[in-house]
Parts: sequence; structure tokens; C-alpha cells
Amino acid sequence: MSALLEVEGLTKRFGGLTAVKHVSFALEPGEITGILGPNGAGKTTLFNLLTGFMRPDRGAIAFDGAPLIGVAPHRIVNRGLARTFQLTRPFIGMTVVENVIVGCLAPRVRAEGHTEVRARDMLDRVGLGSKADLMVDALSYGDLRRLEIARELVTRPKLLLLDEPFAGLGTSEIEPLAALIRELHKSEGLTILIIEHRLREFMQLVRRVIAMDFGEIIATGTPNEIVRHPRVVEAYIGRGGDDLEARLGVATEVVRGTA
Amino acid sequence: MLDILIYGAVISAVYALLAVGFTLIFGVARILNLAHGAFYALGAYCVYTLTANLHVPLVVAAIIAVLLVALFGIAMERVLVRPLRRLPPLAVLMMTLAVGLMVEQILLLIFGSEARNVPSLVESSFNFGGVLLSGQRLLAFFCSVAILGGLWLFMQHTRLGAAILAVSQDPEGARYMGIPSDRIFSIVMGLSAAIAAAAGVLVAPFQSVIPGMGLLPLVKAFAIVIVGGLGSIPGSIVGALLLGYTETIVAFKASIEWSQIVSVAAVLIVLIIRPAGFFGKRAAF
Amino acid sequence: MLAWGSLSKTDVIAAIAVIALLAVAPLVGSRYIVGIMTVALCYAIWATSWDFMSGLTGRENFGHALFIGTGAYTAGFLNVSFGLSPCWGFPAAAIVAVLFSLVIGIPTLRLRGPYFALAMLSGAVVMQKLSIIFSETTGGQDGLNGLSPMLRSQVSAYYFTLAALVVTVIVLKFIALSPWGTILRAIRGDEATCQAAGINVNFYKISALMISAAFAGFGGALYANYQLQVGPDLFDVALSINIIIMVYVGGMGSIYGAVGGALLLIGLTEGLRSFSEYRLWVYTLILILILFFIPNGVIAPAWVRLREWIKGRGALFTRRASA
Repeated sequence: MSALLEVEGLTKRFGGLTAVKHVSFALEPGEITGILGPNGAGKTTLFNLLTGFMRPDRGAIAFDGAPLIGVAPHRIVNRGLARTFQLTRPFIGMTVVENVIVGCLAPRVRAEGHTEVRARDMLDRVGLGSKADLMVDALSYGDLRRLEIARELVTRPKLLLLDEPFAGLGTSEIEPLAALIRELHKSEGLTILIIEHRLREFMQLVRRVIAMDFGEIIATGTPNEIVRHPRVVEAYIGRGGDDLEARLGVATEVVRGTA
Repeated sequence: MLDILIYGAVISAVYALLAVGFTLIFGVARILNLAHGAFYALGAYCVYTLTANLHVPLVVAAIIAVLLVALFGIAMERVLVRPLRRLPPLAVLMMTLAVGLMVEQILLLIFGSEARNVPSLVESSFNFGGVLLSGQRLLAFFCSVAILGGLWLFMQHTRLGAAILAVSQDPEGARYMGIPSDRIFSIVMGLSAAIAAAAGVLVAPFQSVIPGMGLLPLVKAFAIVIVGGLGSIPGSIVGALLLGYTETIVAFKASIEWSQIVSVAAVLIVLIIRPAGFFGKRAAF
Repeated sequence: MLAWGSLSKTDVIAAIAVIALLAVAPLVGSRYIVGIMTVALCYAIWATSWDFMSGLTGRENFGHALFIGTGAYTAGFLNVSFGLSPCWGFPAAAIVAVLFSLVIGIPTLRLRGPYFALAMLSGAVVMQKLSIIFSETTGGQDGLNGLSPMLRSQVSAYYFTLAALVVTVIVLKFIALSPWGTILRAIRGDEATCQAAGINVNFYKISALMISAAFAGFGGALYANYQLQVGPDLFDVALSINIIIMVYVGGMGSIYGAVGGALLLIGLTEGLRSFSEYRLWVYTLILILILFFIPNGVIAPAWVRLREWIKGRGALFTRRASA
């Protein structure tokens, strides 16, 4: 069974800084995987490289067997690779349902027609059904995240990249969003790759974690393995230990192995 | 060759003055001030009125003119621009545009469309290795450089200058630190207007002082600032040199009309190659 | 920013009423008035075509006169220099304007905001200067003169222009209300998000510019055929700026607001004639007042409110009738 996404030796430099260094990994269909790393580890750059918003200096990306480098972002989406952004920027001046309708107009799914019906359906699925006719600037941060997921889902992706979906959310909004992601993973049969720098959400959501630091992969494994991995702990503690718990989102006892 | 060097320097210096004023108010307050050309024209007309009608000595008239236009700029910012700041940036842009049009109309009404004569401060001409340069042009060059130098010193070495730099980087953050951002916006507008007026005062003796004199300098300042990168003072100076010398070279080698086309085409080409200008940061809208 | 994305019966009825009013004008107005209104209708076409591109996508084009002048000169050349029937000028004007839009639009695709505005402005200025320099071909400052008119009477020229405007508004509003228009408004919202939704943003940006150019060029040909002369002032910065002001006053993004803005402002300049030399000053003063107190535009927001009021009253009426 060939992998859905294969990344080989991906490298990206910005002037003197190497943001992504020889990154290689593969995603099997149906997996839900996390990319963990402190700020500046190169995670978002990796997403930008995978989705065509940036070109790598070296390396190869194959999605569904076809090479992805040099393909324009919108075409990548139309091949079935969708992504959300860390800083959600919806289509302001339009309603919530119109925002999702735009996704229905992507060439990949446009022929299905019934754009408004499909859009409203998807909004119901993500829990925004009642807010469909509001203007987007009325939505909360958490709702905007759901909106973005809805917009990407209507393009019927095979692989969904979520860039820090929980960033900036209050505790009451995180669990519902995580539950939504879990449910969508099951029902849509999606392959999902999530970036986060807080471990708590990963523990419950992902099967496998790829840990990055300074642009390189430093470890892969299950969430339990990763949280005890010496290089990972060092990457977080080495940054200044007093907010270790906040950084990892996990009780210090778990990290220290005393839980 | 020498003539191109010298004339280019004079033109570039005045362009730099105009461009820096324009980029200053953008860099600090994110305002694309389309009334900038009006400030330039008002500077020239103030000097004219003071010297011709009120018989004020030229140097005094120059200073008064610059101060008056600075006040006008501050008034425009307080009364017409500040209330619109919470609206999309286009609203402020259109308002400054309308003010510029208004000023032109008022000048037309008061002074008519005939070119006005402003006396030169320096009557004589100077010879630089065979190149004849009018004293006024030379004065314009040195004053422009002096004003720009003074501005740089002001920004680097005074508390107000530091405050202005702080506000240009982060108006909200500056407010938290106790810097009155709103007042800084007004002050910078006054400063920008003063610089534009100074340019108008300096060139008035050798440019035609007509009500519409501000349009072309506005377009050029706009172009220079964008090519140099919005909000970047060094970028504006580089852009001014680029535009000034391009125009001078083409004017000498071909004709004045071609120099205008080439400079505009150069702007277009730079934009295509470097979408954010040479040193550009973020766009206004 | 108000959402303009729907068309109701009230809108259609109002549109028909406005068209009817405009159609009646030549019967009640003097030759002079009809002439002014013909020019106003040309401005309305230019303003509508500007709004379609810049009002919807949010990329403000400060050089719309490029397409107007190009269309006008194309029509002029075919008419005067090649002696062709004026009918050929119209499609030719649109086609040439579209070609120019490709030449300047493709290299400037990645420009944003003021950078795009300046690039388009530069394009118009270059063409203006070129038309003055190559005076042997273009007639320089005097331009091309002595076009042979397509329609003999002033009144039929007026109706032809009115018909062109109606077609323009219908076509552009139709596109604006379609999924195409939704995508254009999404581009205004955020381009990166649009790309991430699978949309080919560059295609929609360039096609919007092309459509805008086609109608502007057509309008330029109309103007040339009315004035029977073409000059470099049709490339002027002032023309581009005036059109932007008209759309802004009418309500950006609404398409029909631009028509109202054009008619309003031309009507204003005419109506202020009694102020003689103070005319333009009063005009800019009124402009400042509008920009200050009614920054969302006059026509479109007013119509939206009026329409709600009408609907409210209409509902009352039908309720009473059925009671």
C-alpha cells in the first residue's frame, strides 16, 4: 500500500537561516498524524512547502503518487490536499455560507452543483449551521476555525493539513474542536496532519507524532513515546523551563515519568 | 556629463524632499496623503502672496509660508482625516484627494490660472566647470539636503523623533507606553506638510506657480515612494535619485517629453520586478 | 462593507423605472440637456466597468482611463484614418482595450493595493504621453478630429448610449451575482485563503480586468462617436480619478451605484453652473461633505434602505388585502 504523501529530503533556506532541513516522512491513507515543535521549528514553513505557497530549495514531495513541487497552490488543493492557516483570514464582507460556497466552486468539486445546499450541510456538520447567514466578522475565533475547516472540507480533500487549529482558543473551545476533528476523521475517512506546539491536544487526537526542532525531525513515535523522548524534552526544557507545562500542555509529572 | 550630474542632483534633491514627506506620513500613520501636492502648491503661493502683496522679505516669507502650511496640514488631519480613521483606508485616501482638489480650486479662484512670479533669493548664476547653474537652483539643492539632514538628526537624536519612530512601528504599543499616538499623527502631518511646502518655496522662483502645480509632483512623489518602498525614508531617497537622474539623462539625450515617459515606464518596470518596491514593507490597503 | 449579492423584484422594478425615466429625457429636455446626459451615460458605463473590477475584487485601478483612451483612439483611427464605417469601431475598441489589459494586467498580477494602483496609473500616463509625442499619427494634443458619426441625430445617439449602458449594467450585474462574482468578492476578502480553497486567483483577477477593460473601451468608442473627436485627455489621470470618485459616491461594489454616482456628479457639475467660476469649488466642497458624512456612498446604501422600506410597506399592503 503506497503512502498518500511522501516527503523526501525537503530543505528551505531564507537567507542565512535554514527553516526546514532534510525533512523526510510519509503519511499513510487514513492516518491522523501530528507535527510537534516549539515556535520557530519550521512547522508552518513545512506546510507552506507542502501546499505550494513556497518552493523548496531541495527535496521531493509526492502526493498520491504524483510530484507536487512547482505546482500552484490552488492546483494542489484540486488534487486533494487542503490546508488551513494559523492566522485565519476569512473572506470579510461576505456571509458565513458564502465563505464556504467559495470552496464549493473549486474545479475539483464544482461539477457537483448545489453549492448552497452543500455549503449549508457542511456548516451543520461543523456546528455552524445556525450562524450560516451571519457576516463573518460576527464569528468568534473558534468559529472561524470551524468555518475554515468547513471551507476546506467541501473541496473533498484526501489529506487535510491543519496549522495550529487550537492556537488562541480558550479551554472551552478546544475540546469541542478536537472532538469535531476526531469525528470528521472517522466519518470522512480523511488523512489529517496537524501542527501544534501544545501536547495535550495531541495526546487524544493523533496516533503518531513527528517532532521537529530547528527545522529538523528529531523524533517520531506515538504521543506517549514522544513525550518521554530525551531530545524532545530537551528541545522544550532547553528553551527555559518555568513554563514547561504551558509549552507542552502536559503535566510535568507525565514528562518526568512520575505520573 | 557634468551637466547631467549637476542638474540631476538638483532635481533629485527636490524630489527627495517631496518623497520623504509623503513616505513619512505613510510610514507613521498609514495615510496615503493625496493632498501632498496641495501642500507643495500652497507653499509656493504663500510665499508669493507674502512677498508680492504684503512685501515681506523673502526669507521671512519662506519661513512663514512653511509654518502656515504646516498648520494647515495639522488642521486637515484633525478635522477631516482623524474622524475617518476607523473606516477602510480608502475613505481617508478619498478625503485627502478631495482636499487636494479643493485647494487647487481655491487657488484658481483667488489667483487665476496665470503663472505667478516669485523672486529668487539668489539672483546670480554660478559656473561649475563649464556648466551654468542658477543660484536659486543651487540654493534649492543645498536647502533640500540640509532639510533632509536636519530631519534625520531630529528622528535620531530627539525624544519626539524617537516617539515618532515608535509610533510608526506600532501605534497601539506606543500608546500603551504612554506616547500619544493621535497627537503624533498630527505632528507628523504637520512635518510632512512643512517639508512639502519647503519644496514648493524653494522651486517657486524657477517653476511655474499655477494652481495645478501640485499634481505632477504628487504623482512623482507617489511613484518614488512606492518604488523606494512605502514607509522607507532611505528608499524614498534612492527612488528620488533614480527618478531624478533618469529624467535628467533622458532629457539631455532625447527630449523633455521622452524623459517623462521613460521615468514613468521605469516606475512600472520596477514595480513588476519588485512588487513591494526596493525597501518596501506592507501596503496601505 | 454591505453585501450586495442578491436581486429582488423591487430591484428590477426600480431599474425599469430608472430606465424609463432616462428614456423619457430627450422628449422633455433641451438639446443641451440631452448632450450632457449622453456624456453622463458614457461616464456611467466607465464607472460601472470600474466598479466591476475594483469594487468587487478590491484592487483599486487608478488608471482606468487607459482602457477608455485606448478604446476611443481605436474607434477614432478606424473611423478617420482608415475610413471604415463607425460600426467597426465598437467591437474593435473593446478588443484592443482587452489586449492592453492583458499587456498591463499580467505583469502586475502580484501587485497589491497602492502598488497596483500606481502601476495602472503609470500605464495610463505612458499612453497619454505617447499619444502626444507621436503627433503625426495621433494628432498630438489636438487628437483625432472629424469622425463621421454613426447615427445622424443626437437623440438616436442618446438612445444608443442608453441601450449600451443598460446592457453593460445587466451583463456586469449578472456576472457579479453569479458564482463568478462570489469568487471575485472572495479575492477581495483574502487572496491566500482563496487559493487555499482551490480557486485560480490569477485567472479571476486577469479576467475581471479584461471584462472591465472591454466595457470601458466600448464606452470610449461611444464617447468618441458622440464627440466626433478623440484627444489625449481621455488618458488623463483626472478622468481616472473622477470615475473612482463617482463609484465611491455611488457605493462601491454595487454595480448600479456607479451609474447613480456618475449621473449624480455630472448632474451636480451642471446644476452648479449658476455659481459660475465658483462652480468647481462648491463641487469639491460638496464632495468633501459627502466623503465625510456618507463614506459608504450615497446611491447604493440609500437604495438598500429604500428597498427595505418599500418591502415593509408592500408586506403591509398584501396583508391588508388578504385580510
